[in-house]
Amino acid sequence: MTTTTTATTTGRRTPTTADAPVLPIATGAQTLAGLGRALRAHPADCVLAFVLTAFASAGAVAVPLLLGRLVDTVRAGRPDLVPLLLLTAAGVVSGAVFTALAQRATDRLGARIAADLRDRVLVRALGIESRVLERVGSGDISSRVTEDVENFVEAVPLAATVFSAVITILISTAGFATLDWRLALAFTVVFPVYWLSLRAYLPKAGPLYAAERRAAAARGQVVLESLHGLPTVHAYDMADLQTRRVADASGRTLTAGLRAARLFIWFTKSMNAAEALGLSVILLVGYLLVHGGAVTVGDVTAAALLFHRLFDPLGTVLLSFDDVQRAGAALARIVGVTLIPTPPPRPSRPHDGPVAVTAHGLRHSYDDHHEVLHGIDLHVPAGTSLAVVGTSGAGKTTLAGILAGAFPASLGRTTLTDVRGSTSVDDLDQAQVRDWVGMVSQETHVFAGTLRDDVTFAAPTSTDEQVEAALRTVGAATWVAALPDGLDTVVGAGEHPLTAAQVQQLALARLLLRDPPVVVLDEATAEAGSSGARDLEEAAAALVAGRTAIVVAHRLTQARACDRIAVMADGRIEELGTHDELLALGGRYAELWRAWSRRY
Amino acid sequence: MRPERALIVDVLRRRARPAVAGCAASTVHQTCEALVPLAIGLAVDHAIDGAPPVAVLIAVAGVLLLFTVLATGGGVAAWVLGSTCLAEAHDLRVRAVGRVLADPLVGRDRRPGELMSILTSDTKATADVMRVLSNLTSGCAGLVVAVVVLLRVDLWLGLGIVVVLPLLVLGIDRLGPWLERKVRARQQAGGLAAALAAELIHALRPLRSFGGVPEAVRRYRLTSGRSLHTALDTASATAVVAVTGLLATGLVLVGTAAAAGTMALSGRITVGEFVTVVVMASFVADPVRRIATSVEQVAVSRASAARVAALLAPPTASADGGAPGHPGPLRVHDVAVGPVTGLDFTLAAGEVLGIATTDPATADAVTALLAGRTAPTAGRVSFGDVDLGAFDRKALRRHVLVEPHTAHLLGGTLDAVLDTGRGTDRATVDRALAAAGADDLDQHVLEGGANLSGGQRQRVALARALAAEPPVLVLRDPLTAVDAVTEDAVAEGLDAVRRSGSAGTIVITTSPPLLSRCDRVVFLDGGAPPVVATHASLTTDRAYAEAVLR
Repeated sequence: MTTTTTATTTGRRTPTTADAPVLPIATGAQTLAGLGRALRAHPADCVLAFVLTAFASAGAVAVPLLLGRLVDTVRAGRPDLVPLLLLTAAGVVSGAVFTALAQRATDRLGARIAADLRDRVLVRALGIESRVLERVGSGDISSRVTEDVENFVEAVPLAATVFSAVITILISTAGFATLDWRLALAFTVVFPVYWLSLRAYLPKAGPLYAAERRAAAARGQVVLESLHGLPTVHAYDMADLQTRRVADASGRTLTAGLRAARLFIWFTKSMNAAEALGLSVILLVGYLLVHGGAVTVGDVTAAALLFHRLFDPLGTVLLSFDDVQRAGAALARIVGVTLIPTPPPRPSRPHDGPVAVTAHGLRHSYDDHHEVLHGIDLHVPAGTSLAVVGTSGAGKTTLAGILAGAFPASLGRTTLTDVRGSTSVDDLDQAQVRDWVGMVSQETHVFAGTLRDDVTFAAPTSTDEQVEAALRTVGAATWVAALPDGLDTVVGAGEHPLTAAQVQQLALARLLLRDPPVVVLDEATAEAGSSGARDLEEAAAALVAGRTAIVVAHRLTQARACDRIAVMADGRIEELGTHDELLALGGRYAELWRAWSRRY
Repeated sequence: MRPERALIVDVLRRRARPAVAGCAASTVHQTCEALVPLAIGLAVDHAIDGAPPVAVLIAVAGVLLLFTVLATGGGVAAWVLGSTCLAEAHDLRVRAVGRVLADPLVGRDRRPGELMSILTSDTKATADVMRVLSNLTSGCAGLVVAVVVLLRVDLWLGLGIVVVLPLLVLGIDRLGPWLERKVRARQQAGGLAAALAAELIHALRPLRSFGGVPEAVRRYRLTSGRSLHTALDTASATAVVAVTGLLATGLVLVGTAAAAGTMALSGRITVGEFVTVVVMASFVADPVRRIATSVEQVAVSRASAARVAALLAPPTASADGGAPGHPGPLRVHDVAVGPVTGLDFTLAAGEVLGIATTDPATADAVTALLAGRTAPTAGRVSFGDVDLGAFDRKALRRHVLVEPHTAHLLGGTLDAVLDTGRGTDRATVDRALAAAGADDLDQHVLEGGANLSGGQRQRVALARALAAEPPVLVLRDPLTAVDAVTEDAVAEGLDAVRRSGSAGTIVITTSPPLLSRCDRVVFLDGGAPPVVATHASLTTDRAYAEAVLR
């Protein structure tokens, strides 16, 4: 059969351009709005955190002021120390209690906000439109839901400390003002110094830290690659070469780290300079004011003590500047994910009985330049199976993905037909489409957790009996029974290892439990070619039986088992028919079959 | 000497000069920090309190000088210690990686994730022992200065602070481990949530293919909720520790102020001394805490050093048989392995030998046997009359290359992936690529070959094995992910390349295109006696036909 190119235009979609922006990054305003939304979700916690922090700072500032009064009392030789001492004690106690309560309140508030954002970004990322996902790849999204969220969460306790430090500095400034406005002014001389050093530091720090993180990430990748590839490194005796690669990557991290460290040290030294300057100016101004009789020695002492106590909060604010900046950048990327429009919810349309699959003029291009499907029309009647064969690059995987509704075709559409009529696969709700069409792709994954959790991921309400029955059907019962803890065995990265063939059996078992009327298998049983793994083909046959099935396979025994076979080449269907018809045709399939079944 | 102690001593000995310089600079820094309260007190006494203008200028000059010395000491310490620790961590890392990569016995009881954390975090913590040491000495120096200053002001006041405060600080620090447990629990729970998030996004396509997203959201919310719970719990614990510390040091401050105030009233000490004592009372906690933390940090560094030292242990004794130029052939002599007994063959020069099995376990056992990873339960496996077990590991790998079935591609470009450190010339690499049907691939290779299909990865791995030109090449199911036409073409290319010299090849497979090109096929059907014949003659065997034919 030849393919027609009379494509319908009903499925036409907004064209996307190859240079379309990657995932959005929120602007400053959007980021603040996002943070504001998160804060407003916990109004009581916000108020509590703010009030407690203010009280705590007031207590902390009161103590040096009272000590100043104490100096004056002592100098005046008045023996009534007790009231002042009691006040100081009260200041210390309330300062301590409020500081702790404030810290707890801000920590808890931060934790809640972080959790809210974390949940929201993951849910949004999991629901991201396939079209966007195919375009941006999972790398960027992954780094946002992991690294960026982690950076933000880690910055939360820090943000709480910075918040209270800022409040302490503000209230201390007020404290200076209660002594004398000129002493307050003397104290503010530190700010230009801080401002200048920040202005010199921040623009250089950003790129240096970014370079350091990039180098560290590259080093991590080389090390991890070497460790995962240990069997290969050992087999080839390439330890020297691979160690050199690690040493190079580690050396680059070292260079970047030293550069960042040098800049950071200069920056901290500018803080020492500000401290020295501030103390000197307070002493000088204090001396003049005492001489002029405007303030007492106790006032100057209080100012000096207040300033000495500010060394820590000032340092906290200054040193946290780039952490805060980094957390802000992370937040912008997190909020960016929530800016991706979600697909609108579609009306519910449950399936009823067997389902037929029809493709109408499917064309597809991943980058809008190279078309990989050039107009595919297909009809797979309910309950029958269609094999798709052809050499690599023919477009088999693309076709399978579109038929399964994994992503929409650039042009054309796929309809599913049950007894109640037809619906386009792309019009089904995201949550519902897998009730119609289940898919096993080339990409398989073992989820970390127990074997039971892994299999019931597709059908969470399955009982152990159902799980065991599914595993039996896919031929996995024997090895599962032999596992140390049976269904409770922990599998996944770094846990009990599974062979590639076993992983494929689990993928088939998941779909059996989910039980959709249509299944699309894309090289789901490629491992059947490994030594002694032939029973995978029987597992696939068990899944296909009684369903509408589209089976992409390079193992032609599987293709022959299907009702009909489509042969693809260069994005077109070249031949379509039963195994015998295609053999009789003497075309591409017949050639493939000869290669496959050749009596070697 | 225990290995971790030996490693730490070794680090300190090699880095003795920068370590000592860093400690000295850091001591200067902390001494100056301790002198700041004294400076403030002196300034109040001798400059602010009705002295001539020159006195205040001297006071300011003194403050500036003190801070200059303080900043210089701090800067030098930070740079010397920081750069030395980074460099030492790098050196330890490279040495440890070298050992792990060279010796299969090193670190084999650890998973990649654990090894990764030893190579990145523990090497750093071990090197940081220099920083810890400097904190310890400078903390002690700060404490001594504070004590001397206080004792000079007033013996009893000084003694009171010096005795009470460290006791309080150390008492409060006993809450540390409790808090640390909470913090670790929080980090762990947060880490679990992050790991799950990463996994779900990584597996988003498979997840969607079976409709697992709603369940994924449910599972993530559970994990994330647990993480939030521990974070809230930790916030309360942190607050308890904070309030205890603040109250204790605060009350010491009030007590000191009361005592010193009374003394100042009675004229026993001056107002400036009163100020010095009060400021010092809040400062002393610093060096005490520095010392306490350093003591804990020493334990952390020791624990890390123990893990690093385990990787750096002297090479496990390897047999030393078989020189690099040692001639073959590979001989399997009446061997028992797994269910198989009486396995017996000699790989002739230029021969391609097939091994077909009916179950994966037997294929695994034979692969391990030929790699020299396991010894046969009976019989011998030898290369040129030397048992594989008696070979020097390096020498054996130059003779016999066993390509793992799971292809790990190392490097970011095709050229890097194909480079196995043998200095293979371009023509050989190109011939290998062509033979493996991998000459049409892009140079750019993502981490682990993520941008390649399973079949492409297999073909690149095969090209790498061919380019290495080993005297004996053992392949395990090399072409399971390619279509029939490609499989046949690659089988042909493999055959052509390997037959061209005196090299021998063993292919463990059930693929007819590969087996049909073998000179002989060894068929292993469970415990049945091994059958050695050609593929063509074996196809009449029902069990063989069932195992390999399509």
